[in-house]
Amino acid sequence: MSVGTQSYQLVDYLEKLPGTTFRKLYQQPSTAFAIFRRMLPDLAKLFVQALLYAPSPLLLSQLDIWVTAAGKLQRDRALSILRSLHIVQISPPSKDRPQEIQLATNFMNSLRHALEGSSTHSSFGVPSTLPVDSTIDVNFLDRYARKKWEDILHYVVNSVGGDGVGVGSAGGAGSSSGSGPKASVKDLLLAGRLVERRHDTRSGVGITQAGFTFLLQEANAQVWTLLLLWLEAAGHNPDLGMESVDMLSFLFMLASLELGRAYDTNALSEERRNMLPSLVDFGLIYIPRDTRQYFPTRLATTLTSTSSALRSLSAGFAAAAANAPGSAPGDVATLGPAPAATADTKGSIIIETNYRLYAYTSSPLQIAVLALFTQLNMRFASMVTGRLTRDSIRRAISYGITADQIISYLAAHAHEEMVRAAVTKGTPVLPPTVVDQIRLWQLENERMHTTAGFLFKDFDSMDEYLALSSYAEEVGTLIWKSDRKQMFFVSKFEQIRDYLKSRKKVE
Amino acid sequence: MPRAIRGVLIECEPAIKSIIVHLDSVNNDIIIEDLDEQHLVVKENMVHSLKQKLEERLRETYRPEEPLADSD
Repeated sequence: MSVGTQSYQLVDYLEKLPGTTFRKLYQQPSTAFAIFRRMLPDLAKLFVQALLYAPSPLLLSQLDIWVTAAGKLQRDRALSILRSLHIVQISPPSKDRPQEIQLATNFMNSLRHALEGSSTHSSFGVPSTLPVDSTIDVNFLDRYARKKWEDILHYVVNSVGGDGVGVGSAGGAGSSSGSGPKASVKDLLLAGRLVERRHDTRSGVGITQAGFTFLLQEANAQVWTLLLLWLEAAGHNPDLGMESVDMLSFLFMLASLELGRAYDTNALSEERRNMLPSLVDFGLIYIPRDTRQYFPTRLATTLTSTSSALRSLSAGFAAAAANAPGSAPGDVATLGPAPAATADTKGSIIIETNYRLYAYTSSPLQIAVLALFTQLNMRFASMVTGRLTRDSIRRAISYGITADQIISYLAAHAHEEMVRAAVTKGTPVLPPTVVDQIRLWQLENERMHTTAGFLFKDFDSMDEYLALSSYAEEVGTLIWKSDRKQMFFVSKFEQIRDYLKSRKKVE
Repeated sequence: MPRAIRGVLIECEPAIKSIIVHLDSVNNDIIIEDLDEQHLVVKENMVHSLKQKLEERLRETYRPEEPLADSD
């Protein structure tokens, strides 16, 4: 559903950084390596490899050897990514010298170190030499990370609450031992507008459209969303003594660590030790009491890899549906880097043409998500029932959730029986009546269509009106016009203004 | 010289438009220009409150039947 979004978010963030920041970032072999591994398309990797041990800059035209005529577009894209991440330097075009390309010095040195394991940097973490508590194994860390992360998701979902639906609230506070995320995490979610302050809810905050999009993301993308908010918050607040460059390279370092191993906190700089509490709050690392050790969790070690971090929300639902209550705790099978594709195909929701909805799940999180737009009626040991009503959909829409988001959620989590029936009969997975009705319910709310812009009126002559309105039409800014009233409305003002000026000069 | 006025163009059904005209008639602080049956230009800073007022008005008058409650 949203595979790969995490790297896009990260790319967007990175591309805004200045070149000096990149030079600092690339001092760390782990950062250079993570960027190389995760952020580059294959062709760009090929170029980097070619340049890595080149003794002198290569001619730009030499790269064309690897590229067929049809691949020119990919070549340009690869080069533009390499440039925007400040990985390569390309000499400016001039008459007397052909353009040359070379790797940025810091990046080249760091990537060489990473590949050769040379130099005594602590860029890939220093394992702790102290004895390790044997109860802290991969299963423990996975359970811990999932608990932390689900608390955060719960906070976003349950920010709705208080609608009096018994089932919905039962999925809330009671289930996740009521702890919830730390205040600092809540502030981040607020600052990132995943939730917003609202007085009509029990918790005082409500989910936003961005929050719902966040819920639908894969876990890895969710983690990056939160981490980027954290980076931005630290950037706005220099008193914290955290530098976003250092934070980012620390994250890349965590991503290179090994799951289930203890690392030495003393080997970290003081700034980085100060970051540990936040990372504990996010569930990226675990710190046992009274030790100088920290354990990266799967949330951290999968930051720059393609294997899924924990299970995605959708996969989690499926797992919860498959797990009867009372099954062994820490359903490890669902946690590993299970292929997201198989997990995603196991939906749990059945929806009938009469708007009734059955979800085979006992996951409090999924039930809470459903409660956002469903009127839930009954809850059984492994399923909930409810129905989509005009009020329940309109309430969701008033939170900023769109009809299309609800529809795609239902489609993505449809029970396999629904999918199978749809395939054999050749019909859509969701009943078309329900899909249409959800859209219609949304339309009811959009009684008018608004466009911001400028109204032009009081023309001296019909000719002037006709000339300007047809010019506006040509440049594509005309929204509405009336020849009879000699008025028109445009979305943008600048082009018309320039046109008027140039005409005035002529006169 | 023609005049250019900043505003928000609203496109809606005639019924909705008549409600907006009615809302405006109280203080005359919403509409900049009444264009035709389905279009008008309103002040940018009034759009949000206009939407809310419209929603309130519609809630009073418009109440479609829900399908019957669950019988299961």
